[in-house]
Amino acid sequence: MEVIINKQEGKTLVELKGRIDTTNAEQFQRDVNPLMEADQLDIDIDCAGLDYTSSQGLRTFLMLQKSVNARGGQLVLRNMNPMVKEVFDITGFSNIITIL
Amino acid sequence: MRLDMHSEMILDEYRAQLPVFEKLKSVVLEQLGHCLKENNIIVSGLEARVKTENSLAGKLELKGYKYHSLDDITDIVGARIITFYSDEVDLISGLVERIFEVDWSNSVDKRKMLETDQFGYMSLHYVCRIPESVCKLPEMPELNRVRFELQMRSTLQHVWANMYHDMGYKSDVEIPVEYQRNMNRLAGILELADEQFSLIRREINDYRRNVQSLVASGNFNEVPLNGDTFRSYLELKPFQRLAEKIATINQAEIYEDSLMPYYKVLYLMGMRSIGDIENMRNAYSEGAYQLALLQLAGTGLDILACSVALQNLCIVYILKQGFGEAGLIKLFDLLYGESGYNAHRAHRIYEQAQKINLIQ
Repeated sequence: MEVIINKQEGKTLVELKGRIDTTNAEQFQRDVNPLMEADQLDIDIDCAGLDYTSSQGLRTFLMLQKSVNARGGQLVLRNMNPMVKEVFDITGFSNIITIL
Repeated sequence: MRLDMHSEMILDEYRAQLPVFEKLKSVVLEQLGHCLKENNIIVSGLEARVKTENSLAGKLELKGYKYHSLDDITDIVGARIITFYSDEVDLISGLVERIFEVDWSNSVDKRKMLETDQFGYMSLHYVCRIPESVCKLPEMPELNRVRFELQMRSTLQHVWANMYHDMGYKSDVEIPVEYQRNMNRLAGILELADEQFSLIRREINDYRRNVQSLVASGNFNEVPLNGDTFRSYLELKPFQRLAEKIATINQAEIYEDSLMPYYKVLYLMGMRSIGDIENMRNAYSEGAYQLALLQLAGTGLDILACSVALQNLCIVYILKQGFGEAGLIKLFDLLYGESGYNAHRAHRIYEQAQKINLIQ
């Protein structure tokens, strides 16, 4: 699992690669923790390289969403492959998080 | 600007007391802000200022003879609360009387000064002090002695006063008589608008209360579907049981998200009363659960959004009504925005629905 964070034009751009599962979910949370304290409001996550997410991954996305919203910003997930998108759909998380 | 010696002395006193005025301003703002928040009152504006030296000098030049000392000028520190509705002014003045000590002999209700055939400046002006029980600073005892002026008026009253002031007039006595009539006509229009806004708000509040009791009574077929009724209906947590049943599939925790985005969807699906939603819930809850079972069993996904229940109900309703994949694509377009993925998802769900005999 790889998390690449860049800042560009007032936005935080994040690129995810690999799988978020029970073996690395905690690491994923530690990797994105700085984003919950960052002063940048909007976070844009490119999920093109994300192959799978478990419930723990969903929880981390949810925490990130709450943190960004509390600061008045917006979290956007984009370029999800259909398998990952299905996880968001069948859990109702597509209703909570903006997915483009 | 040339001032006489008496006015110059008042100005000197003003300069010496400036730190007290600044502190008074911040205490007044803090107290008012706290009071409004505590009473859940949202206002259009809360502001305060300390009169500038130039402004005070101008006042002294015009009518310095009226004041024996700086203490006689009660608006060096001025605060203003601008309410959305005119009937909130009295509500707020009641609260102000509880926090501050009101100097009634210098307070004036300008709303009551106008005769029945007069229209013009409408505002409630209180001259107040900060009582020691509210704030006491041993190093600044003047804080409880110095008076300040608090103006309370509605947004439309504020608009009129601001426009009047912008034209360079502070008192309606000064405005040329040929323009006075036009200003008064405008004041009349704004007063009428103020009253209408208050009336409309009261009627809407009454309507919401009626809707709440109608929804609570369970006469759902009599309740038309709109944003207010849907919100009241959701307070009954009608989809909670289904969400909990779906959650048992993986012993999942339920995250409570808002279902309000579904109002528009349900309306576009043809629902016109809360009863229509109830009928959908009663008829298709089992189908919605079966769909979730097929999708979630064995995935180990142990967190769900509460909305998954209503989402699946909508899916099953659309399929049962015979709207097919096209209907599902429309549903997903409405909920998540148009995208090519929606067709893929619709097709996949259609296949799943066939597997569990939701559709033949």
